[in-house]
Amino acid sequence: MTSEKKFELHLPSSLGAEKLAMDFAATVAKSMNFPADRIEDLKTAVAEACTNAIEHGNKLDASTKVGISLTVDKGRLQVAVQDQGSGGIGKRRTPDIDSQIEGETEPGGWGIHLIENLMDEVSFESTPEGTLVKMIIHLEK
Amino acid sequence: MAKDLEISIRSIGDVSVVDIKGEVTAVSGQPIEEAYQRVTAAGAKKILMVFASDCYINSGGIAILIGILSATKKNAQTVRMTGLTAHFQKIFSMVGLTRYAQIHPSEETALAGF
Repeated sequence: MTSEKKFELHLPSSLGAEKLAMDFAATVAKSMNFPADRIEDLKTAVAEACTNAIEHGNKLDASTKVGISLTVDKGRLQVAVQDQGSGGIGKRRTPDIDSQIEGETEPGGWGIHLIENLMDEVSFESTPEGTLVKMIIHLEK
Repeated sequence: MAKDLEISIRSIGDVSVVDIKGEVTAVSGQPIEEAYQRVTAAGAKKILMVFASDCYINSGGIAILIGILSATKKNAQTVRMTGLTAHFQKIFSMVGLTRYAQIHPSEETALAGF
C-alpha cells in the first residue's frame, strides 16, 4: 500500500497562467512543511517549466493545454509538466552571461538553467504527447 | 494578464533611481527598458534599481535586465540594485547578474559611496 498522493492541474497556453501552477505547487509544498526558501525555489522552477511549455512547447496555441501533476510521496514532491508540442527536446545551450552582456549572444535561455540549479532532480523526456519535464524536490536536501 | 508592472523614476543627487513594482517578465518588462532609455537620455551615469519586495521576476525578466546591463556597460554607466528578496538575490547570483550590478540590502547602503 502506498502513501502517495497525486494532484493534477491543466493550464491554458497563455503566458501568465504559469502563476496558477506556481501557487498550486507552493500550497502543496507548504502542506508538506517544506521550508520557505525551498518553496521559493519550487515556485520559480515550476513557473519556468510551465512558461517553457506554454511558449516553446505549445507555441501559445490556445487549443492546447499544459498538464501539471504533483506527486507527494515520503518527503519528496515530484512535479511533472507536460506540453503538447511536437518539437521535442531541442539542443540546449548553456547560457553565458558574459557573452550576453557583451552583445555576442541574445539575452535569454535562463529558464532551464534555473530549473536545473533549483531542483534536486530534473529530467526531460520526449513523449508521444509532447515534452515532459519532471522535477523532484526533497524535504531533506 | 501579465502586463502588471509599475515603474517610477526619481533622482537623489546624481543617482537616477528606478522604482520597480510588479511583474518583471518578457511580456511586461518593456516599461523598464523605457525607463532606462529615459534616464540615459537625461545623462544618467549612476542608476539604482529598487525592486518592491513582492516583485515577480522570471527568466524573461532576467533577460530584459541583462539587456539593460549590456547597454549600461556600453554607455559607461554603473548600476546598483536593492529591494530584492533573498530568493531573487540567489537567482541573480546564479545567473551571474551580480557581477555586473552590485546588490545592496537597502536603498541607504546602495546610495552610500555611489
